[in-house]
Amino acid sequence: MPEPRPTPSSPADRRALGGPGVLLVVVYGVLALAATGRSVLQIGEYFSRAPLAYVLSAVAAVVYVLATWCLARGGPWVRVGIVACAVELVGVVVVGLASLLVPSAFPDKTVWSHFGQGYGFVPLVLPVLGLLWFRRVERAAAGATVETTAPTAD
Amino acid sequence: MIAWLTYVVVGLSVLLCLAAVWYAVRDRLIDDRLLVVAGLLELALVVLLVTGLVGLGHITDSAERATFVAYLVSLPVIPPGTAFLAIKEKSRWAMGSIAVGAFAVGVMSARLLQIWMSYA
Repeated sequence: MPEPRPTPSSPADRRALGGPGVLLVVVYGVLALAATGRSVLQIGEYFSRAPLAYVLSAVAAVVYVLATWCLARGGPWVRVGIVACAVELVGVVVVGLASLLVPSAFPDKTVWSHFGQGYGFVPLVLPVLGLLWFRRVERAAAGATVETTAPTAD
Repeated sequence: MIAWLTYVVVGLSVLLCLAAVWYAVRDRLIDDRLLVVAGLLELALVVLLVTGLVGLGHITDSAERATFVAYLVSLPVIPPGTAFLAIKEKSRWAMGSIAVGAFAVGVMSARLLQIWMSYA
């Protein structure tokens, strides 16, 4: 038996990292990178082809970058992260529906088209996981503030 | 060139992913051996990036080219990023970071090749 390691981080500092959160950071990070890169090229090279789709792609990219940052930083960013994930969830559902109902408005695909089908529905699942994770971090932090009176460095 | 480079990348990413899962099961932290595999993958990705950018004219459709370039540039960021997270994270989940990252590299490079091949 390997000897037990000390727990990675105390919940008191509301770190979103530590434990399963690190996986979310990776998945969000990859999506943020790919979405940002694609969006920059779409807008830079042929924006007029499908302005609405490309603006939405850019919004999605910014939200993914923000959510990745919040997940990695934790602390005061947890609240921001919750908003980012909520925007994402609304975005993927609304754009997903719109792309099915009014396909003519989307001559080219966005990350959120057809509920993120082009990305293996990861964009649909991810905000839900993100929200669940942020809530867990919030709860752990709330519990820790009640228990301990020691000052916590941020 | 792109084709066999991608095969090398996919092979290395599968290897890295499986190794990371194995480490996680054994509850081992990141070590030099795993970092060497990640380093080799990174090297292959940088070569793929340069080769892909040089041969970019091959892809005539601009939308496909945008996806191609975005993936090409994103890929080399992933192994160092996940390795960095894995070094900071001192739990079993650290290996999850490497495994998920390696999986993403495999999928994205396969998609790259798919785009490339459609313009053969």
